[in-house]
Amino acid sequence: MNRLALLAVAGLFVAFAAAPLVVNSGLLFIAGIVLTEILFALSWNMLFSYAGLASFGHAVFFGVGAYTAAIFLKYDYGLNFMLVIGLGTFLGGAAAFVVAMIVLRRTSGVTLAILTLALSQLMVTVIGYSGYLGRDDGIPSIPRPVVQLVVFAVDMRNQIQAYYFILIMTVLAIVLMWLLLNGYLGRRMKAMRLDPERAAFLGVDIWRLRVFAFTISGSFAAFAGCLMVPWAQIVTPATVSWLHSAQPMLATLLGGAASFWGPFVGVIVMSAVGYLTRTYAGLSELLIGTCLLIVVLLAPQGILGLLRRRVVDEQMVEDVAEHSVDSARTEKEIA
Amino acid sequence: MILEAKGIEKSYGDLEVLHGINFTVADNETFAIIGPNGAGKTTLFKVLTGESVANAGRVLVRGKDVTGMPDFRRARMGFGRTFQVARVFSEMDVYTNVTVAIEAYLSGQDRLSSPWWAWAPTAEVRREVEELLSRFGFARSRWRSEAQYLSHGDRKRLEFCITLATQPRILFLDEPTAGMSPPDRKEITRLLRTLKKETDVAIVMTEHDMDIIFELADRLMVLNYGEVIASGTPDEVRSNPRVRDVYLGQEMSHA
Repeated sequence: MNRLALLAVAGLFVAFAAAPLVVNSGLLFIAGIVLTEILFALSWNMLFSYAGLASFGHAVFFGVGAYTAAIFLKYDYGLNFMLVIGLGTFLGGAAAFVVAMIVLRRTSGVTLAILTLALSQLMVTVIGYSGYLGRDDGIPSIPRPVVQLVVFAVDMRNQIQAYYFILIMTVLAIVLMWLLLNGYLGRRMKAMRLDPERAAFLGVDIWRLRVFAFTISGSFAAFAGCLMVPWAQIVTPATVSWLHSAQPMLATLLGGAASFWGPFVGVIVMSAVGYLTRTYAGLSELLIGTCLLIVVLLAPQGILGLLRRRVVDEQMVEDVAEHSVDSARTEKEIA
Repeated sequence: MILEAKGIEKSYGDLEVLHGINFTVADNETFAIIGPNGAGKTTLFKVLTGESVANAGRVLVRGKDVTGMPDFRRARMGFGRTFQVARVFSEMDVYTNVTVAIEAYLSGQDRLSSPWWAWAPTAEVRREVEELLSRFGFARSRWRSEAQYLSHGDRKRLEFCITLATQPRILFLDEPTAGMSPPDRKEITRLLRTLKKETDVAIVMTEHDMDIIFELADRLMVLNYGEVIASGTPDEVRSNPRVRDVYLGQEMSHA
């Protein structure tokens, strides 16, 4: 991570924090949705860029969280919303664990993609049959809760309080994810993605680590789903569909794969394009498509990769120069 | 006796690659497998290390049957392996490569003192990483170089470094000096010699460079079309007329 990219990310965080002061409530609503989408995209990227697994049905886990939160808020079971978030996150992780146990047994490539995709469509169908889950119409007009924290309460019926609640929860989750992925777990997962066979020969149980990564990633996606519901106040089967599953992939490609912050930038760019072209039907898809094409052809490392490239080139020149000195020395020693 | 192979047979479809290979490797012994291209060396290697499963036969480690054991369990038992083309974690720097290896080793032995959510490597891990790095001649200034920008020789050195980080008791080396420059070759040879002298690790290796084989190997086995045509000490094998016929003569005419 170089200074330029870091600055870009920091700037975006500041923009999110300042949003309620400068934008109207319509834009603020979008900003809140974007936050949960960022978390969702980061959870997908955790699997893709670190564990080397491409899930094509990641919206299922987001959906588990979203529907859990929706049920508890809509039918007013009177559970503290923090506990609902905990429960939704746990259920999302459990769902991911079960899916991983089934689909990761023998596959990690194309079959994994197809199986996860099929699973997400299966869930859409199941929701369609359940009156409790609102069938194809979903669960509308979900009331916003008053979240009792230990010493004070956050009244989510107040737009500003709700926004900051979502912002703070998202930031906490992102920090936690960043710490995990830059620590022991992240190193191990990245080693597995780069060369699973090599990692296995160092004693890493690849299958177990894949299941573990899948479970953690599913939990984060479900957490994002839980946060989205009281803000959007509606959840529909579209939340679970393959189209929603595709969003993190596009964001990751656009922002830059193989980096933690890539999807963060990608989601924001995609949402900005979507917002700026909202009055022209179809233009947003056209622009996103064109952007993706340009990125894939000209900057396969994504937007962040483009910012970083200059620094890497310099580093490489240094390394090569240093190395030629080193090897000249070694040759002399041996001679 | 650390390793014992009994009647290993392997075929890919109709193609029979190995026909009943038998051999043993003693502790602290360097055992070389040589033979012309296509003789089945790499296949035998894969069966021994657990990458592929033999159609028949058994692999024993200290008398324990490991034939169907997955590779990561063999690694935890003390198998170490390097590849023909050095395989390291290319997008990680030198330091992280070794950290991953040390942590994998400790976790495999249930001796990693930090939990899975730990952020920084423990002081114990860092100390071992730094010790290994300096033992393998990686100067502090190069610790943060990404492995993909290393030269071929340095990558090979790094691969040795991460393999030995797991403290193997039996080391499988698939052509350790393939494609290396003469100085790098010398360095690897020197490294292996030191390893033989200082530890009691057993080594199983394939290699095309006969000078290195005859310098390092205590015993060797010659494969041709999936069969053992000779085995014994380097001198015995060298003077075997059949070996000269199918392999050594040919190798010498290449040189």
